[in-house]
Amino acid sequence: MNALLAVASAVAVASTLAVILQRRAVHALLYLIVSFFALAVAMLALGAAFAAALEVIVYAGAILVLFVFVVMMLGSEDARPRGAGWIGPSLLALVLLGELLYAFLAEPGLLAPGAASLPAAVPPQTVEPKAVGIALFGEYAICGEIAAFLLLSGLVGAFHLGRRDSPARPEGGER
Amino acid sequence: MSETAGFPIVAGILSVLFGVLIVAALSIWLERRLLGLLQQRSGPNRVGPLGLLQVVADTVKIFAKENWVPPFADKVVFVLAPPIVIATALASFAVVPLAPGFVVADFNVGLLFFLGMSSLAVYGVALSGWASNSKFSLLGSVRAVGQMVSYEVFMGLSLLGVVAQAGSFSLVDIVNAQKGLWNCVPQALGFAVFFVASLAETRRVPFDLPEAENELVAGYHTEYSGFKFAMFYLGEYVGVTLNSAIIVTLFFGGWSGPFLPPIAWFLVKTVFFIAVFILVRGSLPRPRYDQLISFGWKLMLPLALVNLVATGAIVLATAGPR
Amino acid sequence: MSGQGLEAALALAAALFAIGLAGIVARRSLVFMLLCAEIMLNAAGFAFIIAGARWSQPAGQVMFIFLLVTAAAEVAVGLALILTLTGTLTDTLTGTLTGALSGRPSKGDR
Repeated sequence: MNALLAVASAVAVASTLAVILQRRAVHALLYLIVSFFALAVAMLALGAAFAAALEVIVYAGAILVLFVFVVMMLGSEDARPRGAGWIGPSLLALVLLGELLYAFLAEPGLLAPGAASLPAAVPPQTVEPKAVGIALFGEYAICGEIAAFLLLSGLVGAFHLGRRDSPARPEGGER
Repeated sequence: MSETAGFPIVAGILSVLFGVLIVAALSIWLERRLLGLLQQRSGPNRVGPLGLLQVVADTVKIFAKENWVPPFADKVVFVLAPPIVIATALASFAVVPLAPGFVVADFNVGLLFFLGMSSLAVYGVALSGWASNSKFSLLGSVRAVGQMVSYEVFMGLSLLGVVAQAGSFSLVDIVNAQKGLWNCVPQALGFAVFFVASLAETRRVPFDLPEAENELVAGYHTEYSGFKFAMFYLGEYVGVTLNSAIIVTLFFGGWSGPFLPPIAWFLVKTVFFIAVFILVRGSLPRPRYDQLISFGWKLMLPLALVNLVATGAIVLATAGPR
Repeated sequence: MSGQGLEAALALAAALFAIGLAGIVARRSLVFMLLCAEIMLNAAGFAFIIAGARWSQPAGQVMFIFLLVTAAAEVAVGLALILTLTGTLTDTLTGTLTGALSGRPSKGDR
């Protein structure tokens, strides 16, 4: 299992790096699909099969398809910042990465005081989809309702913006 | 992901792969003969007995063609797109149980694996149209993306009734749960929605607007020829075979049936549904695109939701207190 | 699985988040910025999954589902905004967006 996780991690990091370095949006999207696949494999290795399936169906299969759709409709290409444009952001991200790694790995007690004294974890087993469903609609039912409202507002918002006679679209809906 | 006992996995994968490809190739022949019958003509009847070897002749012809990539295309994506179509369809067969114990991977989220693979098939179509860099291809793939993403939703929702009845995403469990009564009776509505959605997912008549030949030349595969076109062509039939197999597994009891061995029952049922797909193609006209989309969102979606809520209510009422 | 594997997975989540951040700061295109936001959200969701696996609890996956919902709603509205802006600004995707968002007229605006 650990070998699976290691390979998936390497693929995920490499392909995500490729995403932000690509010039053409469609190529970046292709690399991001690969990255999401690798993450799905990592989730499988961690015993979260349901989340892995959702990662493929929703992230790779629906959200990125929307991106492909918009890129196809815009047909635009991006001017990539060259050379010097990358130095600042990369340094900032490296600092953040260092901090996160320090918090996660070097200091177990930093994020959750007393975590070191918690009992050792039970050996991870596969969490069945059924357990996830029961938790989602039992314990977390209110959050589920809120998520449903969020989706509805997203739907209404997208519909409003996309309408022909939308006030957000002054010249009456030409693309 | 569990390997079934006493079943060598590589041999299983190879036999399923070749079996599927042979069935898909034969369904090309079946389609042309059946459409001939329907339109009162002969169909292919020169090569081999009953024209059975026509597919072989076509394959030889297609392989002899030049493997051409248009100079204006995005080369990498252009070459990558057709394999996506066929690979996603073939990968789904891994979770389909053909007979008791004869399944490549009895995955505990097998049904979700099928849905994931069929939602990835969109990329083959979308990327081929984009990479071709021509207007007809782009229009075809914009249509295909809208259509497939929409019908994907109803496809998933129509299957949830089956999942609720079986209490599992595993296709083996779903087949076993149909021992008494096939799902096509209690889940008739779900079956109807799924059948329509799978017609749309395989982009066949009446949902073939992405490749409507009298408007868009050939839609997203206008620029493709030779072997790469063959992958699109075969991919369509692998998709039809896959959707027939899934319909049989989810709604018609999978391998179960009297007298014949299980694998034979599975084949017979699958070929029956392939023939239904073909006859639908032979008899229905093509709607307008806006009709297609509003049919989906205004009729299919409510039907799938009604089915899901009703199934949930009945399952809850009969199960008693948890 | 030992704690070793989980720590490696957490490092992966951190790395993906950092890559997404670098991208969102460096790229000038709206589509790419939205894409990088997706990378960051996804990394956060992965961290939830790791936590769920650590304690063998379904709560991690439940949180991942909520993040998924957020991402879906965000992308739907975000992409609709991008499409609308391309209708009003000719060069939305490469620069003059700050002007448009703050209400100052930019060169593509009417």
